Amino acid sequence: MGKVFVAGVGMTKVGRIFNKGYKELAMEAVDKALNDAGIAVSEVDYLVVSSAFSDSLLNQVDISSILAQEMGIDVPAISVNTGESSGVAALEAALNAVRAGKSNTALIIGVEKLSEFPSAKINSSFSHVLDYEIEGIRGIAPINYAALLLKEYMKRYGVKRDDIFQWAIEMHKRAEKNPYAYLRFALDLDKARNSQVISSPLTLYDVAPLADGAAAAVLVNEDLQTTIRTQPVEIVATASATAPPIYLRNDMLDMLATKKALERLRTTVKFKMGKDIALQVHDSFSIYGFLALEELGVCGRGEGVKAIGDLQYLNVGGGLKARGHPVGASSLYALDETVLLMRDSFSGLRYDGDAALIHSISGAENNAWLALLKR
Amino acid sequence: MAGSFEEVRIMKNSISIFWRKRSDFYKIRLTKCLECGKVSFPSRTKCPYCGSKNVRIVEASGKGTLVNYTVSYYRTEDSDELQPRIIGLVKLDEGVIIPAEIVDVDPDSLRKGLRVEAVLRRLKSDDPFGLIYYGLKFSPVLK
Ligand SMILES: [Zn+2]
Repeated sequence: MGKVFVAGVGMTKVGRIFNKGYKELAMEAVDKALNDAGIAVSEVDYLVVSSAFSDSLLNQVDISSILAQEMGIDVPAISVNTGESSGVAALEAALNAVRAGKSNTALIIGVEKLSEFPSAKINSSFSHVLDYEIEGIRGIAPINYAALLLKEYMKRYGVKRDDIFQWAIEMHKRAEKNPYAYLRFALDLDKARNSQVISSPLTLYDVAPLADGAAAAVLVNEDLQTTIRTQPVEIVATASATAPPIYLRNDMLDMLATKKALERLRTTVKFKMGKDIALQVHDSFSIYGFLALEELGVCGRGEGVKAIGDLQYLNVGGGLKARGHPVGASSLYALDETVLLMRDSFSGLRYDGDAALIHSISGAENNAWLALLKR
Repeated sequence: MAGSFEEVRIMKNSISIFWRKRSDFYKIRLTKCLECGKVSFPSRTKCPYCGSKNVRIVEASGKGTLVNYTVSYYRTEDSDELQPRIIGLVKLDEGVIIPAEIVDVDPDSLRKGLRVEAVLRRLKSDDPFGLIYYGLKFSPVLK
């Protein structure tokens, strides 16, 4: 199996971007990624698009064909939707296409345009990442499950409400240095403490802001890699799993899908998890950030709060919490930030390690996706 | 029943989804797996733990205890007013944990271990252009 490399990356700023539609955002990210790779759009021979809510919020089914038309290319174009983790799923689809010899130069676009509607409508759509016939109809939203998990976590490990805000405080520090981030301001404990309760005990600063944004990446095979001007970063492997809803789990604090995905990843590739690895974890709610660190083996159970201060290469762009959560694009932002970090530097950080891991989940961990990168 | 163009345009919920799933909204039905022995919520044609289709649908008593809860101010299209809603996990007397809305209770009086029982309440509404949809929520057992 030939190796596959990321040849180019491109991101737009994340935020509520009222003067641009999803096509403009996507094209901006695509132009940046192609330019970064030094590849002409005509060389792209495969397109994968990740957008979780194009259908429900933009009234656009088959967004990949529409974006191919927008780019003036006539390639195989597929859309991928695994909810919040769609970005890594799209990465896997593109990776498989290149590995299978169906593509030499695959383009991945993650794009989400949520600010077209009031937040109550966006929140309704976002709630549909859970099972509509079970949670949706009963008015149960992902944030409610996150609140239940947070409560259980604090109780079991004796973690204080203030401790949990460390996640947001750390993520805001990182976002301040990321030019593409949505919430580029410092957060202190007082401000976090006084933020509005959304679903007790979870408050505004435990929640990743849903936002607009687009991130693109170009994958090339081994033959083309030598012609690319940027330093190559290899996509070594991806792995994923689904898992039962949290109310059916023996222990709701277990991230079962993440655990299974990690086992699968470890059967294909060897790597060392530790505090010094470049890692992007899914923090749609801060509690998931801590649970992910613990499930991935970065630190022990209940020790996430203690560990986070030492994790220099964790969520270098500010995570979903502070970079923002343009849902279908979010884990492609994680990919792009990580590629830049491994190439040279990102947000003023330099990274010496040779491996990096990207983690993404959807809903109350209905699925989990992992991608391992090496240079 | 919805007929006019105007009514269909304004209806947000599907009558047929509710009609088909009515047994799961008016009762608490569990899936008992005859292969792995596990019982799960709600009724399914296959066991969510092992995938076996050797399952039997059983009805729960509708009584249980509250194991966890959150007071939610999260706004969706279905949010009525600025009233908070309580979402909890209820451990049924049959031993299965289910997610549910808790009603008719002062949030301050909630606690783990509170005895609760299923009550029929409004789930969604297309009133006045369509149907009002009912289903089970939970409230404290009155002594
Ligand atoms: Zn079973």
